[in-house]
Amino acid sequence: MKTKAGALNQGLIRCHDCGILSQLNTHSCPVCASHLHARLPHSLQRTAALVISGYTLYLPANLFPIMTVTRLGTGEPHTIVGGIFALIDSDMVPVALLVLVASILVPVIKLLGLTLLLLSVHFRWPINARFWTIIYRIIAFVGRWSMLDIFMITILVSLVNLGGVAQVIAGPAATAFASVVVLTMFAATSFDPRLIWDNPNAYD
Amino acid sequence: MTDFNDPINDVSDAVINKRAELPLVWFLPIVALLVSGWLISKAMMEKGPEITINFPSADGLEVDKTKIKFLDVEIGKVTAISINDDLKTIQVSAQMSKNADDYLKENTTFWVVRPQVGLSGISGLGTLLSGAYIAMKPGDGESKSDFVGLVTAPPIRANAEGKQFILDANNLGSLRAGTPINFHGISVGSVLNHELTKDADAIRLTIFINKPYDQFVRKNTRFWIDSGIDLSAGAEGFKVRTGPLSSLLSGGIAFRNDPDDPIDSIQAENTSYPLYDTYEQSTQIIYNNTLRYVMYFKGSVRGLTVGAPVQLRGIPVGKVVHIDLELDESTKDIQVPVTIELELERIHKVNQQANLSDKDIMSQLINKGLRAQLQTGSLLTGQLLVDLDFYPKIPIVPNDNKSIYPEFPTTANSMDQFTHSANIIMDKIAKLPLDNLTDEINKTLQSLQGTSKAAKDMLVTAKGTLNTTDKTMNSAQKVLTTLEPGASTHYELEKLLQELTRAAGSVKQLTDYLEQHPDSLLKGKEGD
Repeated sequence: MKTKAGALNQGLIRCHDCGILSQLNTHSCPVCASHLHARLPHSLQRTAALVISGYTLYLPANLFPIMTVTRLGTGEPHTIVGGIFALIDSDMVPVALLVLVASILVPVIKLLGLTLLLLSVHFRWPINARFWTIIYRIIAFVGRWSMLDIFMITILVSLVNLGGVAQVIAGPAATAFASVVVLTMFAATSFDPRLIWDNPNAYD
Repeated sequence: MTDFNDPINDVSDAVINKRAELPLVWFLPIVALLVSGWLISKAMMEKGPEITINFPSADGLEVDKTKIKFLDVEIGKVTAISINDDLKTIQVSAQMSKNADDYLKENTTFWVVRPQVGLSGISGLGTLLSGAYIAMKPGDGESKSDFVGLVTAPPIRANAEGKQFILDANNLGSLRAGTPINFHGISVGSVLNHELTKDADAIRLTIFINKPYDQFVRKNTRFWIDSGIDLSAGAEGFKVRTGPLSSLLSGGIAFRNDPDDPIDSIQAENTSYPLYDTYEQSTQIIYNNTLRYVMYFKGSVRGLTVGAPVQLRGIPVGKVVHIDLELDESTKDIQVPVTIELELERIHKVNQQANLSDKDIMSQLINKGLRAQLQTGSLLTGQLLVDLDFYPKIPIVPNDNKSIYPEFPTTANSMDQFTHSANIIMDKIAKLPLDNLTDEINKTLQSLQGTSKAAKDMLVTAKGTLNTTDKTMNSAQKVLTTLEPGASTHYELEKLLQELTRAAGSVKQLTDYLEQHPDSLLKGKEGD
């Protein structure tokens, strides 16, 4: 085990807003008067709540049709997975891959990654802290890109509104999926990555 | 779950943060759970029973795509298609929606709707793009989940209001299920199906008339095939009738009700009507009291057809119902018996007399000289009609009538008479000794030639004579000049004439005397 060189170990708290280091027992920042916390308060609890909400909504997001594309009066509602298969069927493999990554892989990776982070921190799993910090960074970065699908649907719904010729109708899964993305983004921000390093069993 | 506190650095900044985190954040997963739970349970609730339908073929059916519709509302979806063990039919499994539960009964029927492009129009156009779908017609009976699909759509649409009627036709022609039925040109229904009657002598068409037009199908309503262009060339000349454009292409049925039909004679469902082949036929009134006669015409009846009118002074009173050709094997005589039907109800009778049947009237009329003759109805088509009129002078020549009907005396028609006379004339011309005639004419001509020659000679002589005459005339002139008054010769001549007159008088006296006294010639004058 390696000696922690964090600010907390040296009896210091960093202000969230102005970044100034204060003594441990200081309640509020001497510069900007904001409340001082050694770590994001209730970070694990909040993240866990958000991640669980994400899981719950991920289910309807994949079970229900995300959109109905009507061409000349006909068309069936597609689920996300169904849409990917439809894209493969119409020989649009690259687009199918994009949708697969943006709509399936990214949310799943995010949810699973956050879950693992939470579990590793809570149960003090011996993990590679550096590696998981990178994972966390990726999760935080990639979060918004899952909205690709939702953006596409919103644009399509408003643009492709040609009455009987072609029409795109968003399904209930779209809302659920958007909620999943938003919730995971919040979960990522509410997770304090410093907690990874606070794990005594973690190694570098 | 609690926040992680480093056990090594048991540094507590928790003085202010020891308050338990408000459990508000845990509402979020609860709400999410509720929402997704509600969504999923709602979807589960909407899921109805799973059914299976057997079809002869899966043409156009696709898993997860083909829908089951009732009144164009989607009530289910095909989830699987498999081949049955008999290797002849397929089984379609379908997930029905919750509200379809009430329709899935014993008599519920399913059939596949595919796009159909026919002359009468396009049906199921939507299925061109969406693919075929399975249509359902709810039935009654016990609940059921295994069905046998129909090969063709059932006759009635599930919900349409109206009435079903039966039409009896001789020939299906271009009539099909879906053939429109027009009422004054409005499409008011269609043919549902057609079937051969049990004894295979007619076609029974089941038709459906939509509300509110079904009320016009009454007691004396007539249906006829309103097919395309009806070009009829009958004894009355050419006639062209056309129906609506759609029936022009594919045929149709039209009907018309009798304005005299009261509103209470609206007919019940499944009433049977005859289907007339043409509009013409449907307009003919059906007379029940008819008299049949058989007629024997001399010569050809070419142009006379069954149905040709029988006219009395130009007004139709009946029609030809049968034309036969008879050969008497013993005498080798050929006869053409033409059976006609007289509809005497068409004749308006005045001064009616009781106990006088139609038959009696007819025999009296025949005795009065009523005869039938063939007449050309239309010179263009050469169609014949039977004309009745009075020819009291023409005797009744009975024929060898083998039919069950009484014979109606006939007479040759004016054209026949004309040709007959013409024949006679031609015969006479043929009989003329034309050879002799020409011989004689030749001779005459030859003698004429001689005569003309003689005449020529004569003329030459005449010319000489004329010259002599000229000279004579000149001499006469000279003589006459000498005889002019005043001339001495003239005087002498006058004198001479006087003398001659006197002499003549004497001679007269003498002759008179001699006449009276012829004896004086012998005896001389008496009394001197």
